[in-house]
Amino acid sequence: MSGTTILKPDLGFVNEVIRSGGESLKKCYQCATCSVVCNVTPEDKPFPRKEMLQAQWGLKDQLMKNPDIWLCHQCSDCTAYCPRGAKPGEVLGAIRKMSIKEFSAPGFMAKMVGQPKFLLVLFAIPVLLLLASGAGQTPAGPVAFGKPHGFLFSMYFIDPLFTAAALFALVSLGLGVRKYWKAMAADLPADQAAKINLGAAVKETVSEILAHRRFQKCETTKGRSTAHLLVFYSFIGLFITTILAFVKVILEPNTGYLAFLGHPVQIGESAITGLTVIFKIIGNASALALIAGIFLVMTNRFKNSKKAGVGSYYDWLFITIVAGLGITGLLAELLRISNIPAAYPTYVIHLCFVFFLFAYAPFSKMAHMFYRATAMVFARATGRG
Amino acid sequence: MEKKYGVYICKGCGIGESLNVDKVIDSVVSNTRFAKDKIKTHGVLCSPEGIAMIREDIKNEGVNALNICACSQRAKYEEFDFPGCVMVRTNLREMVVWSQEPGNEQTGAIAADYVGMGIIKMQKAELPEPGILENLNKTILVIGGGTAGLTAALEASAAGYEVAIVEKEAVLGGMAIKNFKALPSEYPFKELQALPVLEKIKKAESNPKIKIFKSTTVEKIDGQPGLYDVTLKTPAGEEALKAGAIVLAAGYKPYDATKLGKLGYGLPNVVTSTEFEEIAKKGGIKRPLDGKPAKKVAFIQCAGSRDPEHLPYCSHTCCMGSLKQAKYVREADPEAVAMILYKDIRTPGQSELFYMNMQNDPGVMLTKGEVKQVTQGVGGNLMIEAENTLFGGSVKIEADMVVLATGIVPATAGPQAYLDGLAKAAGKGDAEKAKFIEETPKPQFILNLGYRQGPEIPSMEGAFGFADSNFLCFQYETRRTGIYAAGCVRQPMTEAEAEADAAGAAMKAIQCMEHVAKGIAVHPRAWDQTYPDPLMARCTSCKRCTEECPFGAIDEDAKGTPFYKINRCRRCGTCMGACPERIVSFKDFNVDLIGSMIKSVDIPEDGIRVIVLACENDAYPALDTVGIRRQQKLNPAIRVIPVRCLGSTNLVWVADAFSRGVDGLLLLGCKFGEDYQCHFVKGSELANYRFSKVQETLNRLQLEAERCQMMEVGIDDYNKLPEKINQFVKKIEDEIGPNPFKGF
Repeated sequence: MSGTTILKPDLGFVNEVIRSGGESLKKCYQCATCSVVCNVTPEDKPFPRKEMLQAQWGLKDQLMKNPDIWLCHQCSDCTAYCPRGAKPGEVLGAIRKMSIKEFSAPGFMAKMVGQPKFLLVLFAIPVLLLLASGAGQTPAGPVAFGKPHGFLFSMYFIDPLFTAAALFALVSLGLGVRKYWKAMAADLPADQAAKINLGAAVKETVSEILAHRRFQKCETTKGRSTAHLLVFYSFIGLFITTILAFVKVILEPNTGYLAFLGHPVQIGESAITGLTVIFKIIGNASALALIAGIFLVMTNRFKNSKKAGVGSYYDWLFITIVAGLGITGLLAELLRISNIPAAYPTYVIHLCFVFFLFAYAPFSKMAHMFYRATAMVFARATGRG
Repeated sequence: MEKKYGVYICKGCGIGESLNVDKVIDSVVSNTRFAKDKIKTHGVLCSPEGIAMIREDIKNEGVNALNICACSQRAKYEEFDFPGCVMVRTNLREMVVWSQEPGNEQTGAIAADYVGMGIIKMQKAELPEPGILENLNKTILVIGGGTAGLTAALEASAAGYEVAIVEKEAVLGGMAIKNFKALPSEYPFKELQALPVLEKIKKAESNPKIKIFKSTTVEKIDGQPGLYDVTLKTPAGEEALKAGAIVLAAGYKPYDATKLGKLGYGLPNVVTSTEFEEIAKKGGIKRPLDGKPAKKVAFIQCAGSRDPEHLPYCSHTCCMGSLKQAKYVREADPEAVAMILYKDIRTPGQSELFYMNMQNDPGVMLTKGEVKQVTQGVGGNLMIEAENTLFGGSVKIEADMVVLATGIVPATAGPQAYLDGLAKAAGKGDAEKAKFIEETPKPQFILNLGYRQGPEIPSMEGAFGFADSNFLCFQYETRRTGIYAAGCVRQPMTEAEAEADAAGAAMKAIQCMEHVAKGIAVHPRAWDQTYPDPLMARCTSCKRCTEECPFGAIDEDAKGTPFYKINRCRRCGTCMGACPERIVSFKDFNVDLIGSMIKSVDIPEDGIRVIVLACENDAYPALDTVGIRRQQKLNPAIRVIPVRCLGSTNLVWVADAFSRGVDGLLLLGCKFGEDYQCHFVKGSELANYRFSKVQETLNRLQLEAERCQMMEVGIDDYNKLPEKINQFVKKIEDEIGPNPFKGF
């Protein structure tokens, strides 16, 4: 912020931050203890002191184009040491939520995800879709999911539905990230913009994320990085599982999509079995890691709630979805193997969570991985660390 | 009065173990030729038996002059209280046995010197008689009818005293009544309250003990505490009034905003905080230019305060004032924002709670910053440019209204500046003085004292025009005894603080009148019945006393001959120190008495003797503390004589000491200058000035100027003091050598 900045105070924005989980915002009296104790901030123009001030004055533009709000990993060292109980960690969390809302289209969905009163509506969508595809029935015979024209729902209806949801999410996120990048880059001097080496920045950022190096600098909420690492890698594992499973349903000789479309592929039964074994191992291991990880996330939150705050509705919505996803998934599997018909409704619930996660990813806290990664790349590319 | 002497030596508290008291008595007798049978000892002199022994001597032998040789004069003064007797206390405990090597022959010699000096004092001192003037009045004149003045009046009347309030405006209430609302004064310090001053006005106006003069100023004040002749200028003409003491609660004016053009004053929609109160009083917050409701109001703090070009000090009330006014903005319109640009938010004490409550309001936005300028924007709006803000650099903010939190200028500042300017011009000659009078508009004076030293409370370095003693211990005391300042004329303060201040000042005014009625000093020597009693036959009218008296206690008659207004006097003895004719004396403290004590000290043939004149207020207690702590020893070469104030030190004592063969003279006094610690404001500074002159005299006598030194000592310097004294003694021993007059 060199030169003269024109301040446009916005009381509406201040109130929105307060409503979004930053109710302690106004307690800050700018002593900068937060910036001093933060291990994650760059030394030059450190956060979160300046973000607190910007939020107090409702300087929406400045906050929205700021990479620092995402460089913050909410270690909550600031919150623990704040002499006024202003909880900068929680306030920045609220600002991040508003950043997601700002950049993710369509905006009304972000609003819905952010407010508890719309929770039922959001869940009703997958429930209705699944019911429409016949999820209410309980077929006879041994319990099995995913038959092409089975009992539960037509695979040819469910898979495209979820694929469409995922694609929608990806497009929305892509557009959001692009908007965010443009906003951040808008103030960049031309010579600095020209110097950006995006490839190198991406590479460094990916390596940092894989190792959770920044996260490990947290002190007050030590242990969070381990929990997050578990969830993070389990998501990667589940992602691989999904891809492999998808490959399988495309390739399967008789029932696969290619066969369905009249272009069956010649592939050995053993290859399909091998593929299945591999993704089942990865999938189950990931599911266990996910449940363990999210359990740790929750216990950490409660353990640190006095020092770091317990978190907002937005945080807990995401945590609940992830936990629900893992638990219902595993439960459905166990019930299925045990051949108990309750497996069906459990699976339906599981699918609702999956839908929630996919379709609302651009608006929920799920989006944090995209925006944070973008901010980290931008920070690296512009020498902010 | 024919004196019958009695010397009593206590053996308690280690004195008996440390000293061979019989040998000490022998030395005293041989040194002073004092009758041995008049010297008595006791194991514990302050015990009922010891006291009974003295009482019996008083009763049976008619003893009426006592030298109690025991502990410091600062201890056991309730036990050693013998009304009707000349009282001398010789400090053998702290100054000798607790701070010297026990059982040592030298220690015995020191004790003998001190007992001897005490005997001299006992012989020379006379019994004080209180000087009570006639026709004393006990009405308190309160100048100023604002929060401080009204509180002082109500407190004084509640204590049973008559009060006269003089208010120059047509209404009471001062600056406080100009407010829309008042700051909260109760937990949780959240909501503003109706003006408390309204209640005070009601109470004062219905109080039969309080007489109120509105639209009235003070034309003249003559006299002294208990005997003030006040002339008032009322709308009906002059009115005479008698008063015993004065509370100066003349308040303040907001700083002249026309000097703050840089901050936009003069532009439409830029107002001072005082003007903003008027706007708020009219209902809603409407812009002066077009009457539109203000949506974005910017408050610029320290407008003229903490600024070397304007007021160098913090005006203390503006932070709370602007937070209060931010609440006006927010209460008038919940959509409106109040932006406060500050240097620091200073909300000490409970004010912090109000600050926190206001800060918590989303519509109150705060940032540190230095406002560089305020310029005209579009549609009557204003553009504020500020540097070094919390945003990390310069910012511009648009506001539809700007409020300048102007500072506090005490009512005394104008008169003081005028009088200082006049004195300076007069120093350059009559022509300059005439020019100054012609060119400078004369501000309205407040007190119009008929004093030799000028009509108002004199200005003081570091007080910035406030009528402040600048001294923590004596906060309401001005340098004019009987006149006590309270409220913003003394220091910038909030209404609540002004109330406490006014109560304190009222109590001091009462103390003053009651002490004057008993014929004792008002303060700080609040027990002292003595007073300066000059031998006027020998006065040369040199006017040194009238000029140097820190309290303006001495006036001059038409011929220029000084005369004391004794009730204004604080008994410091500065006049006694100043007088070249040495005609000023107190019954128990005078030039001859101290000079004789100095001359009575035994001068060793082959050793160093240093006389220490120690201020009773700080230096002497510090020396006592050395003894009490018993961790360090005092140099055995020194003999300490307490003085009322270093200002009372007469130069003749230097001659007395050195002609007698004393090797060094050390003066221990209080710190002087802007953060002075002198209980008599100017005493130590005057002593320092005088001694800078005496050194020339010493040089002329072929004596080294370094033999005479003044040290500034605080009461808490006790741990450094022994070493400082040692260094002085060592310098004389090693570098300067013994006094060549020794043995003459």
